[in-house]
Amino acid sequence: MSLIRALSKDLAARTDDSLRALFAARPDLISPGVPDFAALAARASARVSVQRALERLNRPQMQVLETLHLCTNTDTGHSASAAGLRKLITGSTAATVDGILATLQEMALVHRAAPPSGTAAGPAKHRFYLPVGSLKDVVGIYPAGLGRSYTELVRLQPAFAQRAVQLVSELHRSGADIHDATTPMEAALALQHWTSSPEGLHHILAGAPARTTALLARFRNWAMGAVPQAQRKASITTEGADVGPVDWLLARGLLVPLDAAHVELPHSVGTSLRGGVVIDDFSLTPPRPELGRTTAALRRNAALSAISETLRLVGELLHAVGEQPLATLRSGGVGVRETRRLSEVLRLDQTRAGVLLELCALAGLIRLDVDTSSWVRPADLEWLLVPRQEQWLWLVNAWLASERVPSLVGQPGAGPATGHRAPGGGAIVALSAEAQRPDAPVVRKRILEILKELTDEAGAPDGTAPVLDAVAVLQRAEWSQPRMARRFSSLIRGVLAEAELLGLVGSGALTQLGSAVAADQQDDALDILGEHLPAALNHVLLQADLTAVAPGYLAPALTEQLLLMADAEGQGPAGIYRFSAGSIRRALDNGFDAAGLLAFLREHSATAVPQPLEYLVADTASRHGRLQVGPAASFIQSDDEAALQELLSGPRAVALGLARIAPTVLVASVAPREAAQALRSLGLSPAVDNGDGPALRLRRTTAPQENGRPVYSAPRTAPPAEDVEAQLAVLRQVGAAVGNGTSGAGASGNGHSGEVATQLGLEALQRAIRLKQKISMNVVDSLGNANLEIVVPLSVSGGRVRVFDPARETERVLSVHRIIDIEAAGELRQ
Amino acid sequence: MNDGPLIVQSDKTILLEVDHELATEARHAIAPFAELERAPEHVHSYRLTPLGLWNARAAGLDAERVLDTLLKYSRFPVPHSLLVDVAETMSRYGRLRLEKDPQHGLVMRTDDYPVLEEVIRAKKIQPLLGPRIDGETVVVHASQRGQLKQLLLKIGWPAEDLAGYVDGTPHLIALKEEGWQLRPYQQQASENFWSGGSGVVVLPCGAGKTIVGAAAMATGCTTTLILVTNTVAARQWKDELLKRTTLTEDEIGEYSGAVKEVRPVTIATYQVLTLKRGGLYPHLELVDGHDWGLIIYDEVHLLPAPIFRMTADLQARRRLGLTATLVREDGREGEVFSLIGPKRYDAPWKDIESQGYIAPADCVEVRVDLPHDERVAYAMAEDADKYRLCSTSESKTLVVERLVEKHRDEQLLVIGQYIDQLDEIGERLAAPVIKGDTTVKERQKLFDAFRAGEVRTLVVSKVANFSIDLPEASVAIQVSGSFGSRQEEAQRLGRLLRPKKDGRAARFYSLVARDTLDQEFAAKRQRFLAEQGYAYRILDAKDADRPG
Repeated sequence: MSLIRALSKDLAARTDDSLRALFAARPDLISPGVPDFAALAARASARVSVQRALERLNRPQMQVLETLHLCTNTDTGHSASAAGLRKLITGSTAATVDGILATLQEMALVHRAAPPSGTAAGPAKHRFYLPVGSLKDVVGIYPAGLGRSYTELVRLQPAFAQRAVQLVSELHRSGADIHDATTPMEAALALQHWTSSPEGLHHILAGAPARTTALLARFRNWAMGAVPQAQRKASITTEGADVGPVDWLLARGLLVPLDAAHVELPHSVGTSLRGGVVIDDFSLTPPRPELGRTTAALRRNAALSAISETLRLVGELLHAVGEQPLATLRSGGVGVRETRRLSEVLRLDQTRAGVLLELCALAGLIRLDVDTSSWVRPADLEWLLVPRQEQWLWLVNAWLASERVPSLVGQPGAGPATGHRAPGGGAIVALSAEAQRPDAPVVRKRILEILKELTDEAGAPDGTAPVLDAVAVLQRAEWSQPRMARRFSSLIRGVLAEAELLGLVGSGALTQLGSAVAADQQDDALDILGEHLPAALNHVLLQADLTAVAPGYLAPALTEQLLLMADAEGQGPAGIYRFSAGSIRRALDNGFDAAGLLAFLREHSATAVPQPLEYLVADTASRHGRLQVGPAASFIQSDDEAALQELLSGPRAVALGLARIAPTVLVASVAPREAAQALRSLGLSPAVDNGDGPALRLRRTTAPQENGRPVYSAPRTAPPAEDVEAQLAVLRQVGAAVGNGTSGAGASGNGHSGEVATQLGLEALQRAIRLKQKISMNVVDSLGNANLEIVVPLSVSGGRVRVFDPARETERVLSVHRIIDIEAAGELRQ
Repeated sequence: MNDGPLIVQSDKTILLEVDHELATEARHAIAPFAELERAPEHVHSYRLTPLGLWNARAAGLDAERVLDTLLKYSRFPVPHSLLVDVAETMSRYGRLRLEKDPQHGLVMRTDDYPVLEEVIRAKKIQPLLGPRIDGETVVVHASQRGQLKQLLLKIGWPAEDLAGYVDGTPHLIALKEEGWQLRPYQQQASENFWSGGSGVVVLPCGAGKTIVGAAAMATGCTTTLILVTNTVAARQWKDELLKRTTLTEDEIGEYSGAVKEVRPVTIATYQVLTLKRGGLYPHLELVDGHDWGLIIYDEVHLLPAPIFRMTADLQARRRLGLTATLVREDGREGEVFSLIGPKRYDAPWKDIESQGYIAPADCVEVRVDLPHDERVAYAMAEDADKYRLCSTSESKTLVVERLVEKHRDEQLLVIGQYIDQLDEIGERLAAPVIKGDTTVKERQKLFDAFRAGEVRTLVVSKVANFSIDLPEASVAIQVSGSFGSRQEEAQRLGRLLRPKKDGRAARFYSLVARDTLDQEFAAKRQRFLAEQGYAYRILDAKDADRPG
């Protein structure tokens, strides 16, 4: 019976609670909803879904599953029981393995099966299991990090097949306890037998050169390794006394060359090295890292200083962007020149400025204006108006939900996760596509959870806190989600750095705030922070060296005004503003006058305004406006002042909008050509000066976009309860109506929904690929005609099937969606 | 949340709110490791530098104490990266030690093998080292002690110098406290210096640095070499030593262009030591050839480069640097640290003023408008001439006349950069002019007359900037400054700060031509003084002779 159909029956027979548990563990099964159990089974067997399910398994679960995979065969139905698996997993008991298998069955990753033929149906507690069919594709070629068997390697590596016979006979002649062989397959079996027992392998390795054990240890977790010139000539007959470990192993077939640079440790060698088992490091409890300690006071100090610093810098950045928007590169992102400008304004290095920029963008505090393709600060930004703790929460929520990874800014462009280089081959620039990581929210959430787990486990005796580093987190991630750990490793340091920026991690330890955020208790975090942030100041200290010092966090409105009339200096909780003639001029340009400026300073100064500052303001103001700029479209100049006076006072030239700016010069509000024409019509004969007039630039204004506060919802790890219930209702209803809904022979299954049909078709296809069976299938051509074709499928991936057409003796590629149905057509070829 | 007087900034400055009740306590707590950078009226700012932190380590302060102090007095959370950085920087000091080995002489030792490896491999350091004794020890050529320390500082592994000092030839010197007493800060400075071994004492002009030198000599009771900037200063040192100590005329020698005496206490000028003849410094022998127990560098911020090199070879002798400001216009503060020694004492000017040891000063900048034709000339001048043109404006001379008239009952100095201008002013005021070509004898005579009150007004060029004691001068008018030199402005103001007999405040006028380079440079110079707590009032020339 098809595995999918078997699973469908199994699912239909489950209780509601069991189904709820399944949906909670694999939310993708009901998103979107499925019409019936067959479709559910089909989806649960699909490769993508299995892949996602495996990402949630912890190490012991993964180890049991991989061991099960290794000692069963879904094609032949050869199953295995907990009792059998236990022997292959050192440190396990039948009960623990059985428990894990039951969990895996709940998750629909394995299912109950008949005992393998030849095995008497043992006692009832010996339950036998088979993994889902697509597990093979998902697990990869090295399950449990073990290599392929010699027979498989001989079949797949022609070069090795050629060499194997000679190698075995050389070994045989040199006195090794190995059968001679005449065909590659025989040689493979001989090698397999030779290396199959730990004692035997130990005996073989007794004569190995030094460092061989160390070399083999590097193949412990993964059967493949890189070796220069892997296909070198290594033979037992020619080797000298000073043979190196790689040559020695290659000469004995203990390492098998795959290509010019890679070798593989065959299955039997791997298991024998592990003492004859598949898993030799089984443990139900995660490893406890050795953690350093810091004090709670230091941790709080670090967190609060980081938070106030970040908020201050974000505020300054918004001010800077408000003053002058940031231009983008054609390839996306903000270029080095703009970043440098920003970093100068913020008095930071460029990388930190880039990270801040990302943070602002992901929080929606700046946005890309599509008309000018520059980043601008939206008008009426709500963020600026909320209390500081809420500003912080805004950033934190946006950060948790964002697919952008700010800490990637400034890193080398060719990240391991993307594999392609940033434009220009340099570092990743801020706000470019390279800093996008779709899995960032999940990884962040998980890292915070792990931090919390580790912190809670470690405990914190009197006023201390455990210091968590990337290594400890990664180690835990590798235990709790080994299939996800790779994604963690590239992001983990960055996420920790970002968390430090936001005060979730301080002095290396998870802070109270971080703990609350990790537990999704944002309100608690708000309360904690609200208590510790000092209130805003409303005064500065003015000093005779022309500085104003704000001894603490200054009210934003006041800061904004101060930045108009003085330049910020330094970096830290206190604001230092330096007045200069230039900065005062800026304030005057922005509509202040000397009296207003001084009144403002007096109002907000805790001390008297020093005389030099007063003088500076008065002096600058007295000279402000020596040059005046005003609008005019043309000018009229004449040495005849009387003529100009006449024009100005007469009613005929009113339309020109004339104004006198000097005894001999008038300006007009109309273009020169128009003015000249008007003057001619008045009987005058003006000469027109054809200087290029100023180009008038019109700029479209765009309506401000919605800039709502981000509401963070944790990345979904379980589906909402109402969805689950709705889905259950649907499944049960259909179940009741149809009864036993699956019926009929043939893989196409006319009574099935599209999803099931596809999945069943693919199952048949994959089975045929594995067994090298001929199949017949109806394929629609480009004109919509169905043709029956008999082919041998070779591989399927990415929606395409590669097939061998025996009739035409060619290979072809077909699209899966053109296949209507599939039927097994021939017998086993071999 | 603390309510301390400090705000620790993430750019490694520390702000101290002066009016806070704990301000004094906090100032004393951070002074050993932070450099006072600016001291305007309300908020002083200190800076954490590697030099300062290593200084603190040298004085026996560990990182934990420093972090503790910061956390204790800080009003806001202290940036964590700064704490980490402080601990890291301080841990670098003393990983290498210079020690005396009974067998091998001077050696460099470490407990941290990789550091020694790194240092030994540095290209510039290699030639200074002798053979390696074992993994942790290497021989150092004794003559290279100074240079090695300097280079180690440069690569960030400052060595702790435990090799000690030679005692020098003993010579009895005692203070003669008749009618005066060592002031508490002078006492403190001298003690700090002596317990530290070598180093620099920073005190404002007029605060009695000479006496700190005398006190150090009295503590050491050893033959002493004093290096000063010029002959007039040498004479003043001599007079002061005769007055303040038991030393007699016969025991003090002068070693200058005119006289070459070597006595138990010898005062030499920088100039004579750096005199070069045939590629050699013939007078350097004075330094090397005698067993001095103490070397005093007056005005250490002016120490010329050859003296730097010479000092590198003198690491076995105690060295005391005296200065009013560690600011060097050439930015070589680090060399002062590694060759003379760390800063041992520093006090804000205003503190000493408030204790009444130096006169309070009122600084006034008078803005002078250039007359129309001078403005045009200025606008059209070559860049090289612009500064001279605006500094020597004729309108300044008129203002000087008005100011002199206003202060006609006071002892008054007119200070300037350009001789022509000074000559003209001297002529119009009928006052004597002291400039470079005035003989030492003539200078002495004029200074004496000025001190005695026989001459009311002196016009001086920059020769009078340093070390010339004119206690009764109470008004100075600076008609032109030397570009943006901050230390020069400080020195000129310093002329006025000796306490007056009647407790009067000093008045320092600086004449500045409006809207010109002069104004720009003046702003730069004045920023330094404002940061020392001496704020300028600014007046327009037309208001300058109003009373007040």
